[in-house]
Amino acid sequence: MTTGTSATRAALPLADKLKPKRVTPTAIEVDQLDFAYGAKQALFDVNLELPARRVTAFIGPSGCGKTTLLRCFNRMNDLVPEARLTRGAIRIHSADIHAPEVDPTLLRKRVGMVFQKSNPFPKSIYDNVAYGLRIQRGRRSRVQLDEAVERALRAAALWDEVRDRLHDSGLALSGGQQQRLCIARALAVEPDILLMDEPCAALDPIATAKIEELIAELKRRYTIVIVTHSMQQAARCSDKTCFFYMGRLVESGDTQQVFSKPANPQTAAYISGHFG
Amino acid sequence: MRGLSEPKNPPAFQIHKRSRRIFGLSREEAIRAFFGGQALVAVVVLALITVFLFREGFGFFAQQRAELTRYRRSGVEFVDLLRAQEKAHGELGRRLGLRGEAADRFADAIVPLRALLGELGEWALEIKESEESRADGAPTRFGEVAEITAQYPKIEDTFGELTAQLGTITESSPGLSPEQRAQLEKHLSGFGATLAKLRAWDAEKPVSGWQAARSFFFGRQWLTASFWQDFYGVVPLFTGSLLVSAIALGLAVPLGLGAAIYVSQIAGARERSVIKPAIEFIAAIPSVVLGFFGIAVLGQALRALSQVEWLAWLPGFPYAERLNALTAGCLLALIAVPTIFTLAEDALASVPRALKEGSYALGARRMQTVARVIVPSALSGMVSAVLLGLGRVIGETMVVLLCAGNRIAIPDFSAGLGVVTQPVHTMTGIIAQEMGEVATGTIHYRALFVVGLLLFLIALTLNYSAQKILGRYRLPSLR
Amino acid sequence: MKMTKYNRSAEPKTPALFAAASRPVFGRVFECGSAGLLRAATYFVLCCGLVVLGDIALKGGRTVFQAQWPFVNVSFLTQAPESLHVFEYAGETHEMGDAQFRAFRANALRGAGRAAEPSSPNISGEQGSAVPAIRSQSYVYAAGGIWPCIVGTVLLVSGAMGIALSLGIGAAIFLSEYAKEGRFLRLVRLCILNLAGVPSIVFGLFGFGLFVNFFGWNVSLLAGWCTLAVMVLPVVITAAEEALKAVPSGLREGSLALGATQWQTIRRAVLPCALPGILTSSILGIARVAGETAPIMFTAAYVVRDKLPWEVERLGDFFFQGVMALPYHIYVVSTKIPQNAYTARVQYGTAFVFLAVVGLLALGSILLRGRLKKTYTW
Repeated sequence: MTTGTSATRAALPLADKLKPKRVTPTAIEVDQLDFAYGAKQALFDVNLELPARRVTAFIGPSGCGKTTLLRCFNRMNDLVPEARLTRGAIRIHSADIHAPEVDPTLLRKRVGMVFQKSNPFPKSIYDNVAYGLRIQRGRRSRVQLDEAVERALRAAALWDEVRDRLHDSGLALSGGQQQRLCIARALAVEPDILLMDEPCAALDPIATAKIEELIAELKRRYTIVIVTHSMQQAARCSDKTCFFYMGRLVESGDTQQVFSKPANPQTAAYISGHFG
Repeated sequence: MRGLSEPKNPPAFQIHKRSRRIFGLSREEAIRAFFGGQALVAVVVLALITVFLFREGFGFFAQQRAELTRYRRSGVEFVDLLRAQEKAHGELGRRLGLRGEAADRFADAIVPLRALLGELGEWALEIKESEESRADGAPTRFGEVAEITAQYPKIEDTFGELTAQLGTITESSPGLSPEQRAQLEKHLSGFGATLAKLRAWDAEKPVSGWQAARSFFFGRQWLTASFWQDFYGVVPLFTGSLLVSAIALGLAVPLGLGAAIYVSQIAGARERSVIKPAIEFIAAIPSVVLGFFGIAVLGQALRALSQVEWLAWLPGFPYAERLNALTAGCLLALIAVPTIFTLAEDALASVPRALKEGSYALGARRMQTVARVIVPSALSGMVSAVLLGLGRVIGETMVVLLCAGNRIAIPDFSAGLGVVTQPVHTMTGIIAQEMGEVATGTIHYRALFVVGLLLFLIALTLNYSAQKILGRYRLPSLR
Repeated sequence: MKMTKYNRSAEPKTPALFAAASRPVFGRVFECGSAGLLRAATYFVLCCGLVVLGDIALKGGRTVFQAQWPFVNVSFLTQAPESLHVFEYAGETHEMGDAQFRAFRANALRGAGRAAEPSSPNISGEQGSAVPAIRSQSYVYAAGGIWPCIVGTVLLVSGAMGIALSLGIGAAIFLSEYAKEGRFLRLVRLCILNLAGVPSIVFGLFGFGLFVNFFGWNVSLLAGWCTLAVMVLPVVITAAEEALKAVPSGLREGSLALGATQWQTIRRAVLPCALPGILTSSILGIARVAGETAPIMFTAAYVVRDKLPWEVERLGDFFFQGVMALPYHIYVVSTKIPQNAYTARVQYGTAFVFLAVVGLLALGSILLRGRLKKTYTW
């Protein structure tokens, strides 16, 4: 895992900055990040590197800032009126995502998100998945759309269950199916990175198991960052784990190592359930 | 879990803006500005209404001032002072209720004054009319007014005669009661003041803007298309509006608030789901249909009711006018109840359950809880509901136009509560009635705009205070 | 434990404190009395409404409905208003509309061998002639139908709602999706609230001053449209904003997270979801626009007009013509003609049709809104 050459990148002229970047082994690099909602600071000096094509889990008690950090990655925090970055930078594939030339909508097409409470549109299953494709520039033929929808639904392990009722309402599905529909929807636009904010929080154990299986499959092609309240889930699914507490990154490293031999006593206390 | 066909090489990580700006705005910003412009329409419309009403209205005061100046300079005002005396004489006669020979002599007594009035009146009117139709540069006849005022000695003599006549009547009618004598005395003692006014009257005294304004806001007569002199005083219309609104609120407030308390606190869920839409439906009845109902049914029904014998003790009963303030007031109450009900019910229903439960937990009964806990905490909402109901009722046109009787005169409050059975005219009614008949730009046209302006300001004030009292912003009478 | 005689007698009695019978009587009477009073007040209001509706429905129904097929008095709904002539002929009282009366008179005269005089409605026979005198009492607007009024109202409503919806939905989108808290937003909201409280006659005055006089449109459809649209704008904006706010924010977030711009989100996700609510609430706006008389009295409505709105020579004339309208017609037939048995028919008939139209719209809106509220729980 190499560190990005952040200092040299920052010094490049604009033309170079605007050139599209290659996919790098480090998918996301967080560099000395401070983040605040108005006067209340939420993240303090976070330094982090997230590997590509791996699953990284953010764990920590409520209110520790893991969802805030996640939402920074696709600039969803822009929607909150007073939220802003006070120091530092976030680089995805070596591109600073908070640079003024960056268009957030383009960023979000490359960094997808799945929410805690599944939010399928009140449209048909087909239209839900095709939504992301239809809002992009360029016309697609019906055949291309059909193919893309099928691809996405297969990738989300939902195709077999809905293949014969693609035009039924997305809201008619069960909770677990709705969440997988949202994942399919996010996958349809073919992002590089998939952010998942407690995707199984509202689901029963069977649905949760299905989603965890799905994550294991997806990580072959996507970089996945998952915020989870359940340490067991983190231990099962992720390759790298980051433990947050009160807005600070306390420890990050290989999942096996964090859970068996945590370097920081706070991590050890959290993992053994002394608080949370 | 392979896809149908693997996608081609994923595109490079391109997240930078393609800038394409129209008029310096990106597409998103342009769309935002477009919608912002549409939101601006509400502001623009309100501003336009205000500007228009003020523009036309203020023109009125200047025109009225010129009109009053002409009124004074042509001597018509002088004659009107005399005419007021004649009218007072007539009223006195009605109040005294004399009979037989005394009545004849009373009627004869005023004849010389009337003759003088006729002569001077014609003269003054001619002067005024010649002034109105005078071409620029032509000489005015205002100088002749001096000759009219020079008639003062003759007027004094006529008054002297009148005094003598009235004195004879007093002496030769032994059947007069002490009150009647007192009234006659009072009438006679007023002559001195009138003569003093006539003496002090000055044709060239300028009319100030304030006087023009006062003639409108405190004028007690609204007389238009008169051959003599038009008066634009808003007091009869304003009192008419107030009277009708008072009757309406007097009926609607207890009914509306009572229904609101019932539906929100006492009624069961099923009852509530029937009553609420039903009252909303009443709100949707067009006011012209209610006005028609008033003319066709309610007016006659109320009049028949008033003529029932055992109700004769009620003030104002029996009465003969089918269309009067009472009829209009009842219908307006029906219009106001849904407004008051909806808002008051909302306010009562949004009192937190915790308060109700706290009161019950202390052993209070249901009505005690309602009276001592729930109503006081929803009081601001209920007051605001009443204010908005008042605003609705004052602004209502068709019902009062059809049912209130359309008599432009200050209601006679000496009848006490019986004043409700008199026909009245209202501000809204006068606009609706006369707007179709006026020519643009005339003083009458402008006067109607000032009445409209007054209505507008009253409605805004009521609306604003209702919102202020309520504390949060809600739109009235839409549900 | 088995209840022995001993145990039963040792059962503790209910302490006097909690016994219901010991509650003061006054309290109970007050409770029941006041609740009863409030119930009476509520049902009294409903009764009054019922009386009004019932009276108009009964008497108006007699004009509008008939016993034979097609059960509706189609001629009442499809003819223009005309004068009613009441006259005696051959010992019988007849009532006829104007056209029918003239035909009848022509026939009678032909029967007596004399040419018809179209000018005078009263014909008297000469001395000694066998032609009976036809003296008729005529009542204006008391016969015929209300077709032009219905047409006029429909035109006025469609145009006004078209304008109001376009402006109102746009404004609501801005207020709910784009606007940030600040002076501009507060100003707009204040103006909308105040506009809602303005009396309808003031709108009529404003429309008269601005559209009819200042713009020079004269009494026209266009002036009526603009005046009515301005009057109903606050209703539409508030209803649309409510419907837009009812769309859960998760929808917007989901769409934005897929890389949609804000306009794309509104157009593809939020609006389609909110549209049923917007349209349902607008139905109440339609009821208001159809039901108001004061704004159209001097801006769009004529008492009587020979031509129907589509009988114009040029397309441009269509917008600058005045129309007849139902509420104004009710006003005219209530005030300008005397109240008697003959005129009551057309008065009640018109009122019934008008009330039915507005009532159905209002009822539809109330019911649909009730149903939508249930389906909006996500």
